[in-house]
Amino acid sequence: MKRFHAAVRRKAPFFAPALLLAATLLLAACNAPQPGPDILAPTEEQTKLRSFQSRTLEVADRQVALRAVMAVLQDLGFIIERANEQLGLVTAARFAEPNFNDLVAVTVTVRAVDAGHMLVRANAVHNNRPVVDPETYQRFFAALERSLFLTKG
Amino acid sequence: MSPDSPRHRAAQTRYFETRDATELLSASAAVLQDLGFHVEESVHELGFLRAGKERSAREYGQEIGRVAVLILSLGKLIIPVDLHQKIAATLVARPTDTSGTRHEVRIMFYRVVWQGDGHRNDDYVPPGGQRMEMVRDPVVYEQFFAKLSKAVFLEAFTL
Repeated sequence: MKRFHAAVRRKAPFFAPALLLAATLLLAACNAPQPGPDILAPTEEQTKLRSFQSRTLEVADRQVALRAVMAVLQDLGFIIERANEQLGLVTAARFAEPNFNDLVAVTVTVRAVDAGHMLVRANAVHNNRPVVDPETYQRFFAALERSLFLTKG
Repeated sequence: MSPDSPRHRAAQTRYFETRDATELLSASAAVLQDLGFHVEESVHELGFLRAGKERSAREYGQEIGRVAVLILSLGKLIIPVDLHQKIAATLVARPTDTSGTRHEVRIMFYRVVWQGDGHRNDDYVPPGGQRMEMVRDPVVYEQFFAKLSKAVFLEAFTL
């Protein structure tokens, strides 16, 4: 017994800092990272993304705009999944061929801004990651404007 | 977002000389039902339909291939075979001009295939592998539109 105590005492200088370290780590783990007050505040990037995801078009009728959106999405090879006339909402998806496991999903909303204008907003997601390339959206809106122009004429 | 090929578009699209969009849509739903689909979503204001059916995806060819590979690889490789599939269709009917005398019907068929399990060397390949593809066979589309034009007593035009 005496020999055991002696051994502990001899090892104590090594034990103490290790114990202290472990305790600190454990306590630190309890303290979850607190979200800052700006967690839901818009960043500059989001504002930019939003600006090129939206476009105001010269259409008076929401149904006409929605039908044009659906036609353009189909032309781009998308499968329309859901459409809601009252809410002005269309969701569509597309297999990113030739890779059969990749999926591009897009949500488009159409809302009236004033009497003669509609605000169209598109969000595209590639495999659960938002598409942030402005060119993609520009191409979509260019096709949409062309389609609206054609149905008008 | 590249445009779909014009050839696919042509196969998927037909034009009907009619003013009655609702009739066109309900006839489309009826034809899809005849083909064994059940309608999952419909929005008549926008002329939109989505339908699907689930079927077995087992094929003799794949099973034979699986056995052949198993023998050739000396029992080291069991490739997964297709087990189950969901075939779905989305359809949009819309007027092509402002007066609404002509309607365009565009339908797209696609399928999702689920695979069974297999083996690669000593590694187990779990079941549930998924593959998605558009149905590109023009015959499928021709059959659908032939049935549809019979149902609405109208001829289907291509451009």
